[in-house]
Amino acid sequence: MLSVVLFFLFFSLFLYVLLAGADFGAGIIELFSSRNQQEKTKKTVYRVMGPIWEANHIWIIILIVILWVAFPVYYQIFVVYLHIPITLMLLGITMRGLAFIFRHYDAVKGKSQVWYNGMFKIASVVTPFFLGMIFGGLVGGNIQLFEEGTNQSFADIYIKGWLNPFSILVGLFYVALCGFIAANFLIGEADENNELENYRKKASVATIVLVFFGFLILGYGYWKEVAFVQDFIHNPISIIAIGLSALFLIPLWMMIKRKQKKWTRILAGFQVFFVIAAAMTVHFPHIIITSTKEYSILEGVAPDSVITSLGVALLIGGAIILPGLFHLMRSFQLIKLFKK
Amino acid sequence: MENLEAARLQMALTLIFHIVFACIGMVMPFFMVISHYKWLKTKDEIYLKLTKAWQKGVAIFFVTGAVSGTALSFELGLLWPGFMEHAGPIIGMPFSLEGAAFFVEAIALGFYLYGWNKLPEKFHWFTGVIIGISGVLSGILVVAANSWMNAPSGFDYKDGVFSNIDPIKAMLNEAWFTQALHMTLAAFVATGFAVAGIHAYQIYKGRNKPLHKKAFHIAISFAAVAAILQPISGDLSAKDIAERQPAKLAALEAHYETKKGVPLYIGGIVDEEKREVNYKIEIPNALSFLAFGDFDAEVKGLNDFPIEDQPPVAIVHYAFQIMVGIGTLLALSGLLYFLSAKWKHWRVKKRFWLFFTLLTPLGFIALEAGWIVTEVGRQPWIIHNVMRTKDAVTPMPGIFYSLITYSFIYVLLTFVVSWLMIRQINALNNEE
Repeated sequence: MLSVVLFFLFFSLFLYVLLAGADFGAGIIELFSSRNQQEKTKKTVYRVMGPIWEANHIWIIILIVILWVAFPVYYQIFVVYLHIPITLMLLGITMRGLAFIFRHYDAVKGKSQVWYNGMFKIASVVTPFFLGMIFGGLVGGNIQLFEEGTNQSFADIYIKGWLNPFSILVGLFYVALCGFIAANFLIGEADENNELENYRKKASVATIVLVFFGFLILGYGYWKEVAFVQDFIHNPISIIAIGLSALFLIPLWMMIKRKQKKWTRILAGFQVFFVIAAAMTVHFPHIIITSTKEYSILEGVAPDSVITSLGVALLIGGAIILPGLFHLMRSFQLIKLFKK
Repeated sequence: MENLEAARLQMALTLIFHIVFACIGMVMPFFMVISHYKWLKTKDEIYLKLTKAWQKGVAIFFVTGAVSGTALSFELGLLWPGFMEHAGPIIGMPFSLEGAAFFVEAIALGFYLYGWNKLPEKFHWFTGVIIGISGVLSGILVVAANSWMNAPSGFDYKDGVFSNIDPIKAMLNEAWFTQALHMTLAAFVATGFAVAGIHAYQIYKGRNKPLHKKAFHIAISFAAVAAILQPISGDLSAKDIAERQPAKLAALEAHYETKKGVPLYIGGIVDEEKREVNYKIEIPNALSFLAFGDFDAEVKGLNDFPIEDQPPVAIVHYAFQIMVGIGTLLALSGLLYFLSAKWKHWRVKKRFWLFFTLLTPLGFIALEAGWIVTEVGRQPWIIHNVMRTKDAVTPMPGIFYSLITYSFIYVLLTFVVSWLMIRQINALNNEE
């Protein structure tokens, strides 16, 4: 049953990164578009994502519940030492949620929309940035665990772990990834040429920025001897995954150029999958790296009775939710490609 | 301010707001589907308009509830890592099922909001019913996790180690039924009176009467039935607490001396230093009867508990008085509503509508007071008789700043949601 639980953990992580990422990314694309295109993007995104908007953001709740139920020791370190960036991310999520409601449910469509849009765009950058920083903090090897009798300051324990160049780079990388996902996805949904051209440009830029930050993280990590990067380079699976992703960049680039509706999103999906797979296998199961010790996610795993019942609950929940979600997407032909 | 106090205040604050959003998101779908059903049956356009207006309310509160719920799911760990490390696996069952129920609700909401004129009529209506049912299920499951803190079960505890964990037994702990029943009814009472009150105000002001009257009758019917049933459920809860959490019972009654045939205090000012209650009204032997069904039963007073195991008395006592007082008033108001079906001329009077307008916030005040009773009454324990709250709090100093940030956000959230609602109601009236 542990494997079922782990499957759902990574499955919801993948879906959250992808679906919420697309949603964050849509806000980022809005931020970098001309005013006219902003309106169009907003409409297209609402048509495509409106009905599943709430569902997209529930994956993180599933993720966190699995973490605390099945991997309490791991979760404990996560919430104590990364308290501040988690809180900042939550502020981002709250602001985005609010802005979303306002954009769509204010009975008066007036000047105030400018404010809502601004709030939405800022939160769309801030939230994934902190999410990325949290992951950077987890694996960056800068977290100092509290030790009795030593002279650690507040900053040593609660700030330096995540506020460092490596984490910032990872944060920027995830922001770029979100923009990348959204742009490639939207190519398939655009209604007219100007809009399509806008997404093509954004997709090209996002791809370049993404690769740039990818190299920057690896380069910086190699130079500063960040454990995560060191291991990354020496882990065959990670190297293969990242190699494949590099290889697939070529057809992706060609597809973006041709504004090919179907293949851009499939190839972009591949990229996300490879990046997550590479990042997760580097250290699996050691997904927390502190300055002195590596923690395995399987360390202090909950007792069998808990894992079994959680596994059963997830299987039953999954059997109800996934078909429901699929049916929802198909009923509204959310994704244009389903139409054919 | 000490870290523990700041953490407790922040938790209380977040929960106080989340409970309001969650209850409205849980109960309003029922009003919406009744109105929708009437539209399908009668083809009266007013019902369609009302359904769509309520649907917007449901959507707004669902998103706000989801956002504040996401924050809460993190806060449990951010503020109480010591609790979550041990309790997380034990109460994982209701939380993971709640996650599933919530997900179903989100999917059903997607179908419902966007399904107008696209889905078959009956299926579309039915997705609305699913929103309501899965919402109530989520509520019950979350309360099951809370009730476990009052009646911990499904594990063995020895020398700080939790073993033999049985997640199902933990979920179906002794307190869950009474607590879930009380809370579900409370959600209907609070939301029902609030929604009915808002529409009563519009009727009082003479705006768009046909629509607001229909709305009022749907909302108040739910609220009145729930309010009349609530005292029975309250009695079950009281008997339950008397047995399992005698210190909580003693605190909510501000009962210090162990005695037989104990009177019930109504009102009164608690003097925590002198350990007595002044200016109260006493009903002889009533507490003994209410707690144990026997006028001469012995009720253990606070003085017989070790000082470090006693909850704060004054706040719990006052909150309890507020809850019971308002509960009684609302049950009587529910009765009044049903009587007005016979004496229809009451409903013509402006005073009738003003009365129900004034009741608007009361249900929620009682509901919050009830949560204060159960949460503060459980102190100093976070898990009753197993773990103290002070041992569960995060080691990170400076929670005070986090408290300020959250206070700011939630106050803002409340203002903007209310503002949106006012704009929605105005838009509705202006269409006429």
